[in-house]
Amino acid sequence: MASEKPKSSKASKAPKDGDRVHKLSLKGSAKLVAEFFEYSIHTILYQRGVYPTEDFTVVKKYGLSMLVSADDQVKAYIKKMMSQLNKWTLGGKVSKLVVVITSKDTGENLERWQFDVQLMGKAAKAKAAADAAGKENPSSNAEVAPPPKEKTEKEIQEEIRSLFRQITASVTFLPMLDSRCTFNVLVYADGDAEVPMDWGDSDAKEIQGGEKVTLRSWGTANHRVDTLVSYKLQD
Amino acid sequence: MPLTPSPRARAAANNSPFTPPRTTRHHDPEWHIERKPTKSGSLQAAFEALKVSAASKARAPNPHPKTASSPKSNIATRTPLRLDLGVSEWALTGTGTTIGQSPVKKRGGKATKTTIRVNGDRFIPTRSASSPTTTSKIDRPVSRPNSQASGNRPGSSTGRPIPADNTVLRGGVFGSDEDTNASSHSLGDDSEPISYERPNPESLAYQSSVAAACGVDLSTRILAFKPAAPESSKPIDLRTQYNRPLKPVASAAQFRRRILTAPERVLDAPGLVDDYYLNLLDWSSGNQVAIGLERNVYVWNAESGTVSQLLETSPDTYVSSVKWSADGAYVAVGVSTGDVQIWDVEDQTKLRTMSSHESRVGVMSWNKAILSTGARSGSIYNHDVRIADHKIAELNGHTSEVCGLEWRSDGAMLASGGNDNLVNIWDARSLTTPKWTKTNHKAAVKALAWCPWQLNLLASGGGNYDGCIHFWNSTTGARVNSIDAGSQVTSLKWSTSYRELVSCHGLPDNQLTVWSYPTLVRNVEIPAHETRILHSALSPDGQTLATCASDENLKFWKLFEKRAGGAGNSRSGTGSGKGVGMSKQMTIR
Repeated sequence: MASEKPKSSKASKAPKDGDRVHKLSLKGSAKLVAEFFEYSIHTILYQRGVYPTEDFTVVKKYGLSMLVSADDQVKAYIKKMMSQLNKWTLGGKVSKLVVVITSKDTGENLERWQFDVQLMGKAAKAKAAADAAGKENPSSNAEVAPPPKEKTEKEIQEEIRSLFRQITASVTFLPMLDSRCTFNVLVYADGDAEVPMDWGDSDAKEIQGGEKVTLRSWGTANHRVDTLVSYKLQD
Repeated sequence: MPLTPSPRARAAANNSPFTPPRTTRHHDPEWHIERKPTKSGSLQAAFEALKVSAASKARAPNPHPKTASSPKSNIATRTPLRLDLGVSEWALTGTGTTIGQSPVKKRGGKATKTTIRVNGDRFIPTRSASSPTTTSKIDRPVSRPNSQASGNRPGSSTGRPIPADNTVLRGGVFGSDEDTNASSHSLGDDSEPISYERPNPESLAYQSSVAAACGVDLSTRILAFKPAAPESSKPIDLRTQYNRPLKPVASAAQFRRRILTAPERVLDAPGLVDDYYLNLLDWSSGNQVAIGLERNVYVWNAESGTVSQLLETSPDTYVSSVKWSADGAYVAVGVSTGDVQIWDVEDQTKLRTMSSHESRVGVMSWNKAILSTGARSGSIYNHDVRIADHKIAELNGHTSEVCGLEWRSDGAMLASGGNDNLVNIWDARSLTTPKWTKTNHKAAVKALAWCPWQLNLLASGGGNYDGCIHFWNSTTGARVNSIDAGSQVTSLKWSTSYRELVSCHGLPDNQLTVWSYPTLVRNVEIPAHETRILHSALSPDGQTLATCASDENLKFWKLFEKRAGGAGNSRSGTGSGKGVGMSKQMTIR
């Protein structure tokens, strides 16, 4: 991945670097997003205790010690999921990725991690459409579309790192997941996205009456990822 | 009386005659739309509808003073209003004729079926906004209809806050054109096929706003990864999660068995012939160790520590192999001439000599009364030691010296290995050809061992240029596992109490290696001798391995020591006896 280590150290804020970042292709940006998804899933599985601690190993990523599952089954599962997710992300078909943690005992959705992806070009288009309709579209899609600002790889990494720190820190306010839990991944894909057999339509698995906390955002020139966690309030 | 339904319906009927409410109705489609997105939306809508109904009533020129008075504060008066309306309805029916609006009455009566109040009013403004062009055909008819019909419809729709309402509503709309009665039917018309109205801009906006509020994007599909996530291997206590050492504790090492790496006893074995192809060491079930040293066979009693010379062969010959019978009473001795002698150890007498091989007998294996012998010529003979004509079978599967020969414990199979790098597995019922011939080894195969806990599992080890240990399924002939041990494998022995086996090696390390099976984890590696280990034998209690090497040492290793509190008292007798015996320093010779 282009954003990896040695470059960023060299980079800092030199204009030359800025140029290079500017050239970070849409594809590269999408790859970054897809990779981010994968690490997010692993992080959530670890932090929320969906799988036992011993199943995870430390890898260095984004300048952090990230924990990724070393369990063969879990790895295979995520890999399979990611293979499709990568395609969709590269094709710009994904608008949200949601990781839902569900109680095994009651089947209740306890926690919902939502990553909103905005493709900058797309957002602009959506806004235009909304304008044509003669109505300001209040949806988050069109609302936030700052002019694509050039960011250095270092800045991008820093943003991602901050987000992961926040995810890690969020276990302090999230309720304890007492029951045995499992997880599910939802993707909000465009209507025209190709859907393989493993994927099927689903409801949004919203947390009924849940609390929502917005976490940091990060983005490249082409993508912007907003993170939101909603969880069931304890009685 | 058709009054049983809720009074609200009647109220709706009352309203119907008035034009203003009708117009409002028009916008129903929109509010279907708003409902579509989510359930919560529909609830909201329903709630609003409640208010609306009240409002509409208020607007409608109601004959009854109470309703008329209510208009301003809809919400506050909502409930009372309905009640009042109900009352008024009663009044109407009662005074039906007097009012003179017979159609109204009728409608009211029919409307009673529909247990709903009017809601459409609320949408009046939007209705105006929706131009005929943008609205669907469905919408248009609605705008035209008589007040009466429209009145019923909205009522019906409001009654059910469920998404299904949409269709109901539309049905009602259609009905309105034809007849007022139709409206009542429309309630049941859910199934009626209805084309979706093209959403007008406002409805779109509304949709999107609702969608946004619910976090749903209408242009997208929500897809779930269908396969269930793998089960977690064990229940998780999050509390341990935050107390985690950065590096996981080496759990494997923790549970690894401790194995003594020092020999328990060392005996001298002078004159041991340094020949890989011979088998000069064996440990009997009676706890006696027989070892062939040049022309002599010595028996060392592990219990008493005494040693005795059993025999001495004629000059110019040497002992090439020794093997105890299963009961530990007899020892078979192979001689370099090709003769095989059977000795009674207790009496120290030779029982018989069996001559059949033309070349030295390097390896032997007992199966009850049958002794199999492998010779330098590559031939394997089976001898029945009880009968005069002892040779009962010839097994021709090797072209070069046979150095490994091992009967399976149940006597159903015989494994043989030779200098031709072959492993042959023979079925005892048909000895004409080997059941399996394995060519994987790249050097002579001397080390052969049948697994004691899985009968059809055979381990075989190859010589210098091979250094591999292969594991075979003797039923299917498949190779089930392999280890590259890296040096000549001279002997293999399975533990009887652990899921382990030990291999003896030659240069460069002359080591003993204990492996876990089937994990093939190297549990321990002991540099055992100064020269290559030639032979090994396992004690009858399975705890101790005897090894001898060309450094002329016979060493005893307690590799498979029984667990401290372990069972196996049946063997403890011999074990302790042996211990006593071993406490005395003994040298052979």
